[in-house]
Amino acid sequence: MKIHRCFLAAIVQAAFIITSSAAIAQDPATDGYVTRKEYEELKDQMLAMKKELDALKKERGTVSKQESAESRSVVDVHKEVAPTPGNAESTAGADVHKEVTSNATPSLAELEASLLGTTKILIAGWAEAMFEARNDQVSTFSASFNPIFLWELTPKLLFDSRLEIEPSGGGTNVNLVNAQISYLLNDYIVLGVGEFFSPSNVFVERFEPQWINKLPDRPIGVYHDVLPNISVGAQVRGGFPIGSTRANYAFYVSNGPVLNTFDPRSAGTLDFNSYTDNNDDKAVGGRVGFLPIPGVEVGYGFETSRPGFQGTPFSDVRALVQSVDLEITRDSDLLKGRINLFAQYAWSRVDHAVYDPDGSLGFGPLPLTARRDGGYAEIAYRPTKVDIDFIRNLEMIFRWDHLSADPSGLGDPSETRWTLGLNYWLSPSTVVKAAYEWDKPNGERNKNALFFQTAMGF
Amino acid sequence: MTTLNRSLLAALLVLFASTTCNLFAEPKANGKAAPDSSGAVSNDSYMGLSGEELWSNNCLRCHNIRPPTMYTNAQWDVIVHHMRLRANITGQEQRAIVAFLKSAK
Repeated sequence: MKIHRCFLAAIVQAAFIITSSAAIAQDPATDGYVTRKEYEELKDQMLAMKKELDALKKERGTVSKQESAESRSVVDVHKEVAPTPGNAESTAGADVHKEVTSNATPSLAELEASLLGTTKILIAGWAEAMFEARNDQVSTFSASFNPIFLWELTPKLLFDSRLEIEPSGGGTNVNLVNAQISYLLNDYIVLGVGEFFSPSNVFVERFEPQWINKLPDRPIGVYHDVLPNISVGAQVRGGFPIGSTRANYAFYVSNGPVLNTFDPRSAGTLDFNSYTDNNDDKAVGGRVGFLPIPGVEVGYGFETSRPGFQGTPFSDVRALVQSVDLEITRDSDLLKGRINLFAQYAWSRVDHAVYDPDGSLGFGPLPLTARRDGGYAEIAYRPTKVDIDFIRNLEMIFRWDHLSADPSGLGDPSETRWTLGLNYWLSPSTVVKAAYEWDKPNGERNKNALFFQTAMGF
Repeated sequence: MTTLNRSLLAALLVLFASTTCNLFAEPKANGKAAPDSSGAVSNDSYMGLSGEELWSNNCLRCHNIRPPTMYTNAQWDVIVHHMRLRANITGQEQRAIVAFLKSAK
């Protein structure tokens, strides 16, 4: 402590000496007037500073109008601060100004980078409104607003979060869909933690937003507890070249699903909507994708977990879900337009277990190795190379999707749907959709449906 | 933690380590591309594809492409950063696409 005091005293004395000597040196120039020579020097300094700012702007090259406006305001502020011949200051002022000017480049860049609403925070997302008339059900309108908050704290650090806000009953539902912090480790590796779209389910990651999903509803095969949608945990992901081809990967560790054991209808199925874990065993999953040529990608996703509650007979039961997917996007001169083909098929398996072993729940004992599968295939065509605007904005879509029966045999039957849709694009991210769906659950009345939907991405 | 979980985690760690150490190098300063195999530094092309082609190829895989004028330069920085996470594109592709979007305005 004594040594610290000595150091402090020495520092204070040194500061005092430096300040005093500087003040003494500056005294002759504090008479309120400047000579012609001093004026010329200040003018030269101003011109040099202007040149420096011009060079800085040129270096930045592609600054937006908004940024330019902000730059100008910053420069104005700078000019305001800078000494002018008509308001001549002392040599001391000029020295301070010189010091500020010499550091102007990083300061200006830092100031611009910190302006809110430019490089830091951005609200994206989409909104949609839909009308659905389904056989044997009451027809209804629905709407939702899905803001995505993006906050780029640094060029490597990004926070992204999505909310889903929709009217429900007599009120409004607000759901946190995801919230993730990610860090760009290098060109090929990104780290992420938080609540994120499950990489094992490519539809959810890439095609779920309603201005991207080409039909008004979503395929049943990749929802409804066959594959996870949202995971809470940590992930590592990225892409890299392999010769002239490319590959990508995403692997994660997360809270796992919960095994349904109490309800006879859903016994053996996985509940992926419980975001807190029910045991110490974490789910591990991922997806690898391969792009042999631009516009074509094939992928394989998986997740393995122990979904049973800790301390119960189900705690050692293992579940494995897998998925294969294909995405093709091609422009065709022959067809005068663009073709999209998306397909994904998933299947889940839960190890053998006996549900309600003592019959106390009223449906057991039910020995079961629970298997389930589902998927979809969708093809879309948009005549983007036709000269007539109205036709160029149309898009036709056909989708087949399927979900197998609940594994207990006591729940929902298998279901297969065919959907035909016609879209009209008002802008690249605003679409009006109309679709008809033939939906025939096995052994039940049809649930055919008519949809109209408008979706806008922003 | 089970043996399988441990094995998978170990495999992930090995993959992570190998990719970090062997395959990839830290990129150059922000906004500049790492040297390609020929040693040249390129900011607007990757694997023989221009920024425009990368923009078109990667964005169209999922959705319609939005015109470069739709967002400011600063907004494109954030949007393409976000899309890099979704589409698993590389940092070089990200920079080439951003450079194209800014220059196309």
